[in-house]
Amino acid sequence: MLENYLPILVFVAVGIAVGVVMITLGFVLGTRRPNSEKLSPYECGFEAFEDSRMKFDVRFYLVAILFIIFDLEIAFLFPWAVVLDKIGMVGYLSMALFLGILVIGFIYEWKKGALEWE
Amino acid sequence: MTFELFVFYVFAAILVFAATMVITRKNPVHSALFLVLAFFTSAAIWLLAEAEFLAIVLVLVYVGAVMVLFLFVVMMLDIDIATMRAGFVKNLPLAILIAIAMVIEIFLVIGSGSFSLDQFAAPLPLPADYNNTASLGNILYTEYMYPFEVAAVILLVAIIAAIGLTMRKRPESKYQDPSKQVRVKKGEDRITVLKMDAED
Amino acid sequence: MDLLMSLWEWLGENLVVVQILIKIVIIVAPLMLCVAYFTYAERKIIGYMQVRIGPNRVGPKGWLQPIADAVKLMFKEIIIPSGANKTLFLIAPVLTLGPALAAWAVFPFGDGLVLSNINAGLLYLIALTSVGVYGVIISGWASNSKYAFLGAMRSAAQIVSYEIAMGFALVGVLVAAGSLNLGEIVRAQEGEGGLFNWFWLPLFPLFLIYFVSGVAETNRAPFDVAEGESEIVAGFHVEYSGMPFAVFFLGEYANMILISALTSLLFLGGWLSPFNGWPLLGPMFDWVPGIVWLFIKTAFVGFFFLWLRATFPRYRYDQIMRLGWKVFIPITIVWIMVVGLAVVFEMPWWFD
Repeated sequence: MLENYLPILVFVAVGIAVGVVMITLGFVLGTRRPNSEKLSPYECGFEAFEDSRMKFDVRFYLVAILFIIFDLEIAFLFPWAVVLDKIGMVGYLSMALFLGILVIGFIYEWKKGALEWE
Repeated sequence: MTFELFVFYVFAAILVFAATMVITRKNPVHSALFLVLAFFTSAAIWLLAEAEFLAIVLVLVYVGAVMVLFLFVVMMLDIDIATMRAGFVKNLPLAILIAIAMVIEIFLVIGSGSFSLDQFAAPLPLPADYNNTASLGNILYTEYMYPFEVAAVILLVAIIAAIGLTMRKRPESKYQDPSKQVRVKKGEDRITVLKMDAED
Repeated sequence: MDLLMSLWEWLGENLVVVQILIKIVIIVAPLMLCVAYFTYAERKIIGYMQVRIGPNRVGPKGWLQPIADAVKLMFKEIIIPSGANKTLFLIAPVLTLGPALAAWAVFPFGDGLVLSNINAGLLYLIALTSVGVYGVIISGWASNSKYAFLGAMRSAAQIVSYEIAMGFALVGVLVAAGSLNLGEIVRAQEGEGGLFNWFWLPLFPLFLIYFVSGVAETNRAPFDVAEGESEIVAGFHVEYSGMPFAVFFLGEYANMILISALTSLLFLGGWLSPFNGWPLLGPMFDWVPGIVWLFIKTAFVGFFFLWLRATFPRYRYDQIMRLGWKVFIPITIVWIMVVGLAVVFEMPWWFD
């Protein structure tokens, strides 16, 4: 099994190397004449007032948390999908119950307005 | 030394390095990103232990989801590093005490002999067509059905808890209701015709 | 020729890594060419849709335009904004391009024509796509610019939301095919009915959802609020110039090609001929190699990306989130259970 993963390891390394080489090439070939105006962050001609990293609406966290839960659900679905034709009706029903419980959570989210975006 | 062992040591070294950086970096965003690296390398090590499904799911769930949340939180909170470091010296003795206790616990568990290498011999290399995911699926949904459903309930609790903790309806925020928007009629909903006397 | 073959076998036995590297170059080099000419195709096609000619100055009919663009970007100054976090600023584009390239490691270009035939192919792909979001988040944060940060946050929340719909759609394909191996998934679509045996028909809702989520994942119009040039200038890559920008750009287009290729692999039969098993047309097209079919299908799906961009106005952000969470997720869950039933009862045509 492991011999199949060697090409992947090499490919990931190549994928990263391509990006690194291209950026290095840009540094080698490109001009470099920095000045403070050029390097200031773009803000439609204003001077930047403050640090741009600001507090954000808590809603973004909620999206991220719900994403984790659904991602886990998908992780549970993967092995089920592969062996469904072997485990048959029993497997189907056990997944139906699993999804049923989570659909309750989904409906709760919906009704609570957690999926609403103002 | 076989090639696999060599790869293992490389990944193990990266993992230890990344883990050290997580706890020593001053910038929390850097720490979080080193934690991502740590997850990646541990996934590679799991893969070396022939746990194909778990290794990829580790990347999918922890790197792809959990760490995104971490980064969201760490990036968007203005953490004042100075105030955070103020309590460092004061709490140091307590922290050292806890650390020592944990180290002793770890040694007691590992040293008890139930985790030694002769208890768990290295697994034989599996054939190329071995399907880790399928062998997991064959038992998870039938033999281990009850724990599987318990997992669903735990996830349900997590959904409800997340909403309970973070949902705050602010009175001043405005919503758009798409179903209302769609149902708008051309005539009466858009314009009101007022009857009034002509003025001169 | 014999000498080359024996050299190849010798490499396979003694220097496997070199052999793998050669294979990777054979995959990546044409891919880069495709990316370059995809940008050209985009400008031409959208040009004609808007009754313009598009690029036509560099080379005959503008054919050398992408090369000229690449050379130009290479000689541009790389600007690193003053407040930026240098290392992360430069790592971010690499993190976008890397996964987009590495995903091709498990991609079968024909029957058995695959670099790494792992059993968990689809799982590997979905894990890699979920890593792609880091490029966006890190670039937005490291630039220390308001627009970049806003764009990154919008885009991250959007990518994350559509990833769920995408994952569910993939699970549907898995249920139908019964294997995580991409080659097996294509072979499961083989049959007497030709193109009616492919999964796009029984999984039609999932097919649409997968493609639309793919458009949203790659931040393309009409889901391009991350860039939103009229609102937040250019979103997360506002501060990028020269080669780092080019790498971002390459990553985005490589991702588009990847999504198109995967759509044709998972729903449109991959390398299979659409007339497979048909009485007259079947034998007529037998000589066409599988990789040509795959290329045609990928180009066809890729064309939809461009068509969408030329046709639709940008979605509002709350509408995007609504579509992802309230429309796509319920539909996919229901359809997974429907397909699951069909598989359990071995419904004829596709699942017997």
